[in-house]
Amino acid sequence: MTLDRDTMARLLEITGGDQAFIDELVDTFLEDASVQMDALRAAGAAGDIDAVVRPAHSLKSNAVSVGATVLGDLCRALEADARAGNVPDLAARIAAVEREIDQVRQALLGERSAR
Amino acid sequence: MNQARILVVDDTPFNRRLLVRLLEGIGHAAVEAEDGRKALERLRDTSAERIDLVLLDIVMPDMDGHETLAALKADDVLRDVPVIVISGVDELDSVVRCIRMGAADYLPKTVDPEILQARIEASLAQKRLRDNERELLATIDRQRSQLARFLSPQVAALVSSADGESMLAGHRREITAMFCDLRNFTAFSETAEPEEVLGFLRAYHAAMGELIVEHEGTLEHFAGDGFMTFFNDPVLQPDHAARAIGMAIAMRDRFAGLSADWRRRGHILELGIGIATGYATLGRIGFEGRYDYGAIGNAIILASRLSSEAAPGEILVAARTFAEAEADRPILAAPGGDRTLKGFSRAVPTFLVSGLGERVGGQERTTEGAST
Repeated sequence: MTLDRDTMARLLEITGGDQAFIDELVDTFLEDASVQMDALRAAGAAGDIDAVVRPAHSLKSNAVSVGATVLGDLCRALEADARAGNVPDLAARIAAVEREIDQVRQALLGERSAR
Repeated sequence: MNQARILVVDDTPFNRRLLVRLLEGIGHAAVEAEDGRKALERLRDTSAERIDLVLLDIVMPDMDGHETLAALKADDVLRDVPVIVISGVDELDSVVRCIRMGAADYLPKTVDPEILQARIEASLAQKRLRDNERELLATIDRQRSQLARFLSPQVAALVSSADGESMLAGHRREITAMFCDLRNFTAFSETAEPEEVLGFLRAYHAAMGELIVEHEGTLEHFAGDGFMTFFNDPVLQPDHAARAIGMAIAMRDRFAGLSADWRRRGHILELGIGIATGYATLGRIGFEGRYDYGAIGNAIILASRLSSEAAPGEILVAARTFAEAEADRPILAAPGGDRTLKGFSRAVPTFLVSGLGERVGGQERTTEGAST
């Protein structure tokens, strides 16, 4: 699932229904995701598997927090392989993460404009 | 629950923002640090407000959660700041490691504010309890060392011991009491300058006090030129009679040095010592607000009378004390005669002690014909 709406509902609930704050939080997520994506792309271009670990971990952790289930799974697998020192199809998997980030962005922003 | 100042240590802005928001929502003040190094800098910054608790992410660049926790626990000042580890769903091994390293608790990254609040409260309460305990122990230590300056070390130890209360409430025990006072002190204090009198008393008290400590006597009181010490209470001393006599001899010898100095300045001061053994009631004596650890009994009165009776430089000992002491160690003494003393209907047999005998080949040399 690109976006688990239960997770977003829960974030809204634990912050006391403050939608404006959730919107800021989503913006923070998206900004950070593009920073991490840049790092991931650079690591992929250099074939530096060690440098994949941190951005994959950050993206995974934040993806889980906003309910981006698929992105979380992709990054979890990527992080685990990178830690093990062997990432089959590195370039393709980084590209898949990038595509999924776009999906999540559209879903999150779509959700906002639909309100 | 009072407001706490909480340091959020996480490398991702998303997590920091969310945690800060949750903390503020439950009434705490939040401070942020984006990695372990910055967190330590902030915690060690004495010019900044004190941090009450740390929420610590595990996986961070540069200095991760484990390293940060290890540095905190190795720091004497920061060791006790509670740390709650914030972990992702698949970091359970790391959580276990952190708790073994001294983390107070752990929480998932997306946490219900009520759970967050409950964990924070519990960690802070635990910290307060530890702080109180430490403060209490420090206070007891301070009081004990202060008490030891006002009371005999034995009495100070008794006050803070487990059976102190029942001992203080009063008990009967055989003790040996020693009274010691100065001859000519009144004349001395009339003719000498007050500063000289105080100077002499200080030297006298210091010298006698040192010997009391050395012989482990319980000093009941110092009163100007005289003082009373007893043995076998509160600490049991089976050789109490011999100890008292040993101390009296040491005092007489030490005093000879002091008085020779004063004799050269024209002041003749002499010591008179009386020692007696018998049962006494010991414990707290006085009134609410001012108690002393004291002894009441015939032996104390007898020791006091013998000390008044003693001629300058003499150690006058009740026959019972002499008999008990002699069983423990050889003592050089001469019969002191039967003394008629105020308050005692029958004359009291006494000995005049001159020194300690030597143990020669198992044969104990004791009573001598003459004494000083």
